[in-house]
Amino acid sequence: MSAPLEALLKMTPAEIQAHNERPTADELRNKTQTYYEDVNVGDELPKYIYAPTPTHLFRWSAAIENFHRIHYDLDFGLNHDKNPSILIHGSWKQSVVPQFLKDFTLPKGWPWKAAFEHRAMLVPGDTLIVWATVTNKYEKEGMGFIEMDLGMKTQDGVESMPGSATVVLPLKGGADIPYPFVAPKD
Amino acid sequence: MTQEAQPDTQSVLTPEVKAMIGVEGELIESWGTVDVEYLRRFTQAVMDPDPRYWDEDFAKSTHYGAIIVPPIMVSYMTQRIRPEAEDAITEAFKENPMSDGIGSVKRPGELPSIPTHLVRTLNAGNEIEVYQYPNIGDVIFFQNRYHDIRERVGRDGKAFLIITREITYTNQNKDLLCITRQSSIRR
Repeated sequence: MSAPLEALLKMTPAEIQAHNERPTADELRNKTQTYYEDVNVGDELPKYIYAPTPTHLFRWSAAIENFHRIHYDLDFGLNHDKNPSILIHGSWKQSVVPQFLKDFTLPKGWPWKAAFEHRAMLVPGDTLIVWATVTNKYEKEGMGFIEMDLGMKTQDGVESMPGSATVVLPLKGGADIPYPFVAPKD
Repeated sequence: MTQEAQPDTQSVLTPEVKAMIGVEGELIESWGTVDVEYLRRFTQAVMDPDPRYWDEDFAKSTHYGAIIVPPIMVSYMTQRIRPEAEDAITEAFKENPMSDGIGSVKRPGELPSIPTHLVRTLNAGNEIEVYQYPNIGDVIFFQNRYHDIRERVGRDGKAFLIITREITYTNQNKDLLCITRQSSIRR
């Protein structure tokens, strides 16, 4: 049973991490389709929990060739930019969001679009909760559109990335979502 | 809390700034192709174990019919420094021994600067629209564009700009893969 966001925010970081719902490779391989009709306004998506270490940050910097010193040079971060530590990358946060939406829509839905702001500095030692709550749903051109608020909260409840997203789910008995995806006409 | 500029506030949205809306950069071909090794490093770093990224037999059986690649991944290919170029990091530190490692490193396809005296930049937010997964072997093209520039007024009564830069990513067949938008505050 998925823990509600409010309940997670009353837990210790270790307890929060025990509620991680990031799927394994096998769970992603065998994922069954969530249909438009299965989703209701107010539903919470599974929570993805992360506890990045400096090594995770270094791996991200290397993977995308981001040389910004604030992410790996503690001396520079503390003394030059006056940051509290090395900082978790905004690019990593914005890369988690499409993954989170993809996983929800697999195997045949579509993670169409997302928008979010970067508001708080996140540092190694933070426990991060990626969350989303369904705010609206509608049918258009034979597809089911799900709108949601989303974000990435710290263990202290600080919202570091408030945003929103729209994903597309097939209707029960309906046609597949076209691939490549074609946005509906306004 | 911010608000739109009032008549008695000195506007920073000058005609020269407004004229930048819609200005496009060159269409740039990213260095290299989308390859399995970059895909492995990226998906491990973002901690996404999806077999659609690495199990070819399984990927062929899915809705997409082949190994897929996160569209956001190819957006970072635009940051690659081409091997025939000067070593941008060495150059940056020659210019400024306290370089932050990124600020003075020049990237291909950049847009012309906004003609404003405002210099302090803050990230205001990101958007992504996804249309098609890139595939292994794809060549990625990207093009920058000033999507929008708006004026707001801060609590201190001073006007500032919100500049939204849009980047469109396509493949060698001119298929639209994704669009990203980054908004920055210029104070």
